[in-house]
Amino acid sequence: MILVPIIAVLAGFALSAILKLGPVTGTAGIYLGVACLAGLDTMFGGIRSGMEGKFQNDVFISGFIVNVLIAFSVAWMGDNIGQNLVLVAALVFGMRIFSNLGVIRRFVVTKWHDELVRRREQAEKAAQTQNSQANS
Amino acid sequence: MNPFKSRITENWVMPVSAMGFVLGILLHVTWITQNTRSGRLNTLDPDMAKRIGSGSLDLLSEVQRVSQEVAKLREENTKLQNAMSNTTGQTKLLNETLQEAKEFAGLTALEGPGLRVTLRDAAGAESGNQIIHDVDVLKVVNELWAAGAEAISVNGHRIVGKSSFRCVGPVIHVDNIPIAPPVVVRAIGDPGTLRGALTLPLGVLAEIRSTGDPSMVAIDTVEQQVLPAYTGGTARKYGKTVEVETK
Repeated sequence: MILVPIIAVLAGFALSAILKLGPVTGTAGIYLGVACLAGLDTMFGGIRSGMEGKFQNDVFISGFIVNVLIAFSVAWMGDNIGQNLVLVAALVFGMRIFSNLGVIRRFVVTKWHDELVRRREQAEKAAQTQNSQANS
Repeated sequence: MNPFKSRITENWVMPVSAMGFVLGILLHVTWITQNTRSGRLNTLDPDMAKRIGSGSLDLLSEVQRVSQEVAKLREENTKLQNAMSNTTGQTKLLNETLQEAKEFAGLTALEGPGLRVTLRDAAGAESGNQIIHDVDVLKVVNELWAAGAEAISVNGHRIVGKSSFRCVGPVIHVDNIPIAPPVVVRAIGDPGTLRGALTLPLGVLAEIRSTGDPSMVAIDTVEQQVLPAYTGGTARKYGKTVEVETK
């Protein structure tokens, strides 16, 4: 399930490469980089909330678009008023990306672990019933 | 059974994938490539720029490409001048004077006998004396001019009146173009005279040799060699030719 978004990212990358949309030149690239971070953060956030069962479609999509736009324009504004907001945005989004990734990882590992335990119990149960059948 | 199939609904997959698609496009547009590198590098932090740009920002090949183009254009220029001069005796005379001036200025490739002087850092150089400095190259070139060399090139860069030798960090710049050792100085002139001038006792090379490693210097006589034309800029900004009054 988690593979589908990853494939989608790669597909978007490939499409852009085929259509030769990018790459952009100059400083706009810096702001776009921050926007990328925002998008990445929102995506991981979406995956995380999906795993937690709290996913809401409208919140996610509006979050993605607005975050990307705001990241871009705030970074641009920061440079225009002489403050390095690019760094600040990178820091905040970077931290959130890592924390989101941590939660996702814990979810996946826990699920996998639970599944292992469940299987072992099932196998034991099956063995017990077999034993009891053999005994009787 | 898929072990990751959970009881929780998977309604997040499609929206996340859709936005992931957009993100992919965004990432590609932002990606720093060969084309955008030079434009983007000066907006990055120095250490970041170093990480992304180290080795890949190929200024040297760019310089080579441009100088090749300059050489080609100058050659064409000479051809055109020659073609024009074929018409009358007057223009022919003018063109000869012009070509002579260009030869003197180093704007044409020149061939002839001469010397090839190779300067190397001593193997396992430890002290500053055992490596070739900009001053060493400058002294050799100076000595060659003094001994009557008609044209000199250093690592394929023609030396002209405004040429400079500078030490920039660990490399020597000839006319602001970095060169790597070994430094090969080629000169056109009388090989015997040039060699004699370079090997004078207490001369320029004696100083380098005295550091203990004779392999730092090698002089070869060359029967025939071609020195490339100067490919640097010739534009002036401030100087103006003084008008000579004709009576």
